[in-house]
Amino acid sequence: MSETWIRRLNAFQLLLVIALILLPIVWMVVSSFKPSAQVTAYPPTLIFTPVLDNYRQLFSTTPFGSYLVNSIVITVGSTLLGLLFGVPGAFATSWSRVNWPATVTLAARMAPGALFLLPWYIMFRTFGMIGSYSAMILAHAVITMPVIIWVMLPYFDNVPRSVLESAQVDGCHVPEILWRIALPMVLPGLVVSSILAFVFSWNYFLFALILTNQSTKTLIAASFNFIGEGATYWGALMAAATIIAIPPIILAFVVQRWLVSGLVMGAVKG
Amino acid sequence: MRPQMTVERQLALLCSPAVLFTIVMIAFPVGYSVWLSFQAFSLGGGSTFNGGENYVRMVEDPEFWNGLRVTFVLYAISLVAQLAIGTYLAILLNASKRMVGFLRSALLSPFVMPPVVVGMMWIVILDPAIGVANYVLQSLGLPPSEWLASPRWVIATVALVDTWQWSPFVALIVLGGLQSLPGSVYEAAEVDGVSRWAVFRYITLPLLAPTLLTAAILRSVDLLRFFDIIYITTGGGPGNASNTLNIYGFRVGFEFFEIGYACALMVTLSTIVLGAVLLITKGRNMIDW
Repeated sequence: MSETWIRRLNAFQLLLVIALILLPIVWMVVSSFKPSAQVTAYPPTLIFTPVLDNYRQLFSTTPFGSYLVNSIVITVGSTLLGLLFGVPGAFATSWSRVNWPATVTLAARMAPGALFLLPWYIMFRTFGMIGSYSAMILAHAVITMPVIIWVMLPYFDNVPRSVLESAQVDGCHVPEILWRIALPMVLPGLVVSSILAFVFSWNYFLFALILTNQSTKTLIAASFNFIGEGATYWGALMAAATIIAIPPIILAFVVQRWLVSGLVMGAVKG
Repeated sequence: MRPQMTVERQLALLCSPAVLFTIVMIAFPVGYSVWLSFQAFSLGGGSTFNGGENYVRMVEDPEFWNGLRVTFVLYAISLVAQLAIGTYLAILLNASKRMVGFLRSALLSPFVMPPVVVGMMWIVILDPAIGVANYVLQSLGLPPSEWLASPRWVIATVALVDTWQWSPFVALIVLGGLQSLPGSVYEAAEVDGVSRWAVFRYITLPLLAPTLLTAAILRSVDLLRFFDIIYITTGGGPGNASNTLNIYGFRVGFEFFEIGYACALMVTLSTIVLGAVLLITKGRNMIDW
């Protein structure tokens, strides 16, 4: 076979696989714009006039707006908490080379969620915190903080030690060195780790099932309940799915160069 | 002048919120779970030590063994499929000159989508009566499938969905590995007129082994704890056909409120995950050159 043919065959296979990967997503988005009678039509229809009925139904028949607010509060809250704890933690870990706290956080990545959720449930129940934003923010910070620590570590490792030491000779306290000198040098890492933490927290499924109530329910938990309500609302179901998928997909494109290393976190050193 | 704290002290202070949080929210709960797994615990009723009774019950519980079997069958099918398809896709990408940026972005979409979205999407696509998947099968002259509703096929279907979602992730990891391989080896092989298959089998694959094992570690952690997609699509059913250990443990805890027994199941599952990770890591370190 000639080189050209091999290259064509290669391109053909690649397009085929990419199509298989993208088609289900396209089908979801397309279905969300179908008139509701056509969503459940069989054989499935491809030609239709796109309408926003499903989206309207979603917002008018469910408190979708307030679920959205809950999701944003919990995701942003847990990302900020993760940064507040994780960034100084990563800085101190990188400087002192004492790694065990970072290693312990990997337990959160490895153990099944219910291993934490069972004791948390008892803890939060004791303090009357089930259904509160704070319980959910604390729980999701268990997702965000390790991501932030592990993504920030190499950035802090790259700050030249001489810079830190000369600041120290000038009489700066360590927190000052972090705030005034190190942080401005690791801004890209800060952006990447915040975005990754946001995506992971936004997507996380399990904790919201148990720790939220009707007034703090997230989009993820609410959508899970929609599924139980049956096939009649497929259009609205696909509209909800599309809306929930948009923020992580957009953010993933923004940080795509770092996304895989963020997910690999710790596994290489481990 | 105030006496200055030593640098070590200041660093420890900076680290303390993270450490405290880790202790309270991660380390303590793990310890508490282990402790609870040796208790007969009832909400509001307090708890009493019951020795290894929860573990004895587990060994005698057919649902536990079913969960273990489902977990490992699903794990084996999915891991092999994802490593194979991921490597295949990475090799295609590595050989492609055009549109690499676009293709890479397209690959991200499945695994950055929330599991709930993936579940909803496939429920609609795989519906046995009106889903588009069966329409495609029938158009190709193939018999329709019950997919997630079939006790016989549900594990394979879940593996299919997970493979759709995570093969692209494996592909991106392997692509990173491929791009860091030394070009000189390939030039030498080309001069010697070695066949493409031989190059892949005897050069690329051995050199990629550490990368593949890293991908295997990451996928093992997720696959052995398989929960989200199953809980969303089948809830462990039909019957108990997709009742993985993680699903079973969760239901024992939060549907039957047998916290002590649920903790025993979760501690067992965590041990399995940890064991698999240590085993694969050891394998990787042995061949890492």
